Amino acid sequence: MTQHLTERDVRDIATYARIGLTDDELVQMTTDLNSIIDTLKPITEFDLDGVTPTFHPIGSLSNVMREDTERESFTQEVALENAPKQQDGSFLIPSILGEGGDR
Amino acid sequence: MKKLEQVLQDWEAVIGLEIHTELTTLTTKMFCGCKLEFGAAPNTHTCPVCLGLPGALPVPNKAAIESIVLAGLATNCDIEKHSMFYRKNYMYPDMAKNFQTTQGPVAFCMRGHLDLDVDGPAAKERTDIAGLGAGDTYENVTVTDTGYTAHVGITRIHMEEDAGKMIHIGGDEGRIAGATHSLVDYNRAGTPLIELVTEPDLRTPEEARLFMQKLRQIFLAIGISDCSMEEGSMRCDGNVSLRRRGSTKLGVKTELKNMNSFKNLHDGLAYEICRQAEVLEEGGQIYQETRHWDPTMKHTIVMRVKETADDYRLFPEPDLAPYDLTDEFIEGVRAKLPELPDQKAARFAEQFGLSVYDARQLVEGEQTASFFEKCMEAAGAGAKKLAKPVANLVINDIAGWQNANEDANLADSPLSPARAVELVGLLAEDAISSKQAKEVFAAVMDEDKDPAAIVEERGMKQVSDTGAIEAVVDAVIAANPDEVARYKDGNTKVIGFFVGQCMKQMRGQGNPKVINQLLAKKLAE
Amino acid sequence: MAFSTDMGIAQIQAGLRAGNFTAREVAQESLAHVKAADEKVHAFLELTEEAAYAAADRVDAAIAAGSFDELGPLAGIPCAFKDNMNQEGTHTTCASHMLENYVSPYTATCVQRAIDAGCIPLGKLNMDEFAFGSSTESSAFGPTHNPWDLDRVPGGSSGGSAAAVAAGLTCVALGSDTGGSIRQPASFCGIVGVKPTYGMVSRYGVVAFGSSLDQVGPFARSVEDAAAVMDAICGHDELDCTSQQVKADFRAACKQDVAGMRIGIVKEFMEADGLTAEVRERTLEAAAKLEAAGAELVEVELPHVDAAISAYYVLGPCEAFSNLARFDSVRYGLCDEGHKDLGGQYESSRAKGFGPEAKRRIMLGSYLLSSGVYEKYYYPAQQVRTLITQDYTSAYEKCDVILAPASPRTAFKFGEISDPATMYLSDVFTISLNIAGNGGMSMPCGLGRETGLPIGVQLMSPQFKDENMFRVAMALEKEYGTAPVAPEFSDGKAGE
Repeated sequence: MTQHLTERDVRDIATYARIGLTDDELVQMTTDLNSIIDTLKPITEFDLDGVTPTFHPIGSLSNVMREDTERESFTQEVALENAPKQQDGSFLIPSILGEGGDR
Repeated sequence: MKKLEQVLQDWEAVIGLEIHTELTTLTTKMFCGCKLEFGAAPNTHTCPVCLGLPGALPVPNKAAIESIVLAGLATNCDIEKHSMFYRKNYMYPDMAKNFQTTQGPVAFCMRGHLDLDVDGPAAKERTDIAGLGAGDTYENVTVTDTGYTAHVGITRIHMEEDAGKMIHIGGDEGRIAGATHSLVDYNRAGTPLIELVTEPDLRTPEEARLFMQKLRQIFLAIGISDCSMEEGSMRCDGNVSLRRRGSTKLGVKTELKNMNSFKNLHDGLAYEICRQAEVLEEGGQIYQETRHWDPTMKHTIVMRVKETADDYRLFPEPDLAPYDLTDEFIEGVRAKLPELPDQKAARFAEQFGLSVYDARQLVEGEQTASFFEKCMEAAGAGAKKLAKPVANLVINDIAGWQNANEDANLADSPLSPARAVELVGLLAEDAISSKQAKEVFAAVMDEDKDPAAIVEERGMKQVSDTGAIEAVVDAVIAANPDEVARYKDGNTKVIGFFVGQCMKQMRGQGNPKVINQLLAKKLAE
Repeated sequence: MAFSTDMGIAQIQAGLRAGNFTAREVAQESLAHVKAADEKVHAFLELTEEAAYAAADRVDAAIAAGSFDELGPLAGIPCAFKDNMNQEGTHTTCASHMLENYVSPYTATCVQRAIDAGCIPLGKLNMDEFAFGSSTESSAFGPTHNPWDLDRVPGGSSGGSAAAVAAGLTCVALGSDTGGSIRQPASFCGIVGVKPTYGMVSRYGVVAFGSSLDQVGPFARSVEDAAAVMDAICGHDELDCTSQQVKADFRAACKQDVAGMRIGIVKEFMEADGLTAEVRERTLEAAAKLEAAGAELVEVELPHVDAAISAYYVLGPCEAFSNLARFDSVRYGLCDEGHKDLGGQYESSRAKGFGPEAKRRIMLGSYLLSSGVYEKYYYPAQQVRTLITQDYTSAYEKCDVILAPASPRTAFKFGEISDPATMYLSDVFTISLNIAGNGGMSMPCGLGRETGLPIGVQLMSPQFKDENMFRVAMALEKEYGTAPVAPEFSDGKAGE
């Protein structure tokens, strides 16, 4: 089996994907991912020169748009119905200091 | 720290802007039918789509696509017929799906430009063209009689969606730093947003400010947004780097945020240029980082260091069909393109014989441009003759009144175009002095009466009758022999004293032009 | 004749019309049957009794008013929904701890259309967590058992839907198919399962796995019942950009025969590694029966079909990674409280909320989309999609419907396949169709000679020609009969 990813790589991916992994899980995940990536090998071996990619399965589909007309929104109560925590009509979250993002 | 003018002697600043504009004039959000409304109670304009509920799917708002194509046409962009939406993946709590729907390498609008006319003091920041004369060109600049014109490239304008809003609590003044919690409101999430990216063609904070101003005028003219920098419906980030004059190698750039007014845009960039120069001159290094402009402290502070380029895992949005805009669609949008500020200014100059400079000032605001135009209609045959004084009234008095009355709509004010023409007419006939005209203008606004009636009421008729003035002039000269002697000794400044005396005797109603002429003649005798 | 849980749509509706039983009785007996028999199967995650009785009462009122025929093709028919379909007021868990306490504030279009067509919604059905799997073993709430052999898996990911129909717990059910998640469990459970052409049925309100691959479709014990469900749920939805205007009448298609139709047999499929002898035998037998019924058999080639499985395991995880990013403990879903910063809350909520397979796919997708890797896997996978689509287009120049196995083997035992990479290979015959966006269905063609378990034959159609495969399916059903309820659960034995 080819080593596509080291444990360090997998840790980085987990950090980006926001999934906490214990050290044991990290070892198992590294093995699993390397084995799965191995099975993807055929995709890297095709001669695909000049082949246009198909991003949407229905080729003829384009320009789908709606008119700028209003639809009913949720009430505040419904919007917050599933909120783990809420306050003052808003979703409540702990401090976001250190979050990256494009802000 | 050195002053900007000094820094720019040695350093060239390379500035690019990223300008986000919310399409506030639409009824609904980008991908769902929730109403666009600023200031509503939190989370009252949400649905499965903009809350990112599991299973929800986006459907693009046609009017938003029309708006961005309109924006592209108004900024000389090529409209790309084939483009797609992409997902930009990163987790941030104000973004309900944890990816932003945006565009990929091909945006709806590509390769545009705006030409900036930089005049007067604004042109002085550009030290590198100081020695050039009108008609000379240098890089993207052509020197003019009054300053220069800069050709600024627009890389692209792409369609995306805005994020929700957060309030940070438990710390100081709603800042992230020190806050223990945040409150998230998704009312704004999914607001149609267009992002314009310029080429790094700007060289001074003034050019950046003028670009933003001009773009705002255009976006207001085409009616796609209320363009409120204060409420955040138009937001500007700047990328700045410095290089030694004569060098062509780009320096390390910083990204500047929170420049939420024209003044902040200018001052933030100016500060950052000076800061970078200082660091570089002391042998230091500029780091690629995002910095925040603090207008109170008047400095920029680091928000985030970008060690590596962000990897947003961009890929084509499978839930949205690609676009193949037809000529019919694009031409349909083009038909909605109104006369743009530049075209209007050129027409004003041509049609009414105004200077380009005056015409440009008239079109800075949509209200003033249309008011001027209505005045010209009201003036009928005399339009061309009255154009310059009407322009002066609009540029000086009316603009001043607008600044003092921020929310006031000129069209609803007591000054109808007919009254404005009447007022300017009185001035042109020398029936009132320019000083009196200002008083009449204020009175019209306050009392909602015709200018002629106010002049009548206040007995403000200007006396231009040479005979009447001559008598006063003679009397004043006779009464002040000492001053006459001084004048004759060569102290011509004393003429001001005589004018003042004459005006006093005539209770301010004498025509200053006539008084001056007569005094000069009599004193020379 | 009294209502029995073995009945198909025509029988139930005839009974209702004749006044032999009421819709309320249908609801009552169906719910009672589920309560008694589902202990063994574990197909249901939630019963929606209130909604079921409300729907039944509406049907009974229509019968009393003489307007029964205006209700729609599913009037009075017990139906249940895979638990990745939002139905207002129900839990929509995707069989994940992440959504254990999530209550839908809105209804998926396919669910709404089934309800509008008069169905009696019994409840929500088990599945592989977030539809990641082929056995329903990855459900966070325990696996579903195959009604034909309770020691075996029902297939997946729509294992709950297939098992519920096979055990007679419901007349029809809805599932979703991303790489075979309707067809493979239908085959394992010996019933009809349809994955329509991408865009035929709205995906709005169905929790997304692979947005360019997912499609909703019915499970039933007869081709005509599946056709009735298709007639109820298909067609354009203004809330799903990728849904299409469809002019299809599936029940009408069921009345046409196969004389003169060309049936394609794919060489690459019939010679595939891992295809068991008993499945191959039954598949060829089905082809022979069609030939006898007047269809013409032609050999067709799908030269790039080998690449489909790797393309699928690139595209699926990439889209899933992005689709599952929204489960972040902020607006809904599992939240591990007590963290001082959001980053900590994110990581531990997602660690606790997602099972191992979900984590693997999210991680894999995140890797495959990263810069430098995207060009190596994701982009070529989309190019391969072009080649596979072209393969099918060429094949359909020679034939109207393709006939193939649905799964290389019959249902396997719990725990029999544990390696993820091997599990992925069980979708070898179904996946290429999702890549191309074409229609396909699985229908029973007898029991395996060796295992004695149900075997499904897969019928495939060109995009938006899904009616073709229903014609062929009807011809086969004439030979094999409609699918029986699994012996242990047929009426009278239910719940014993």
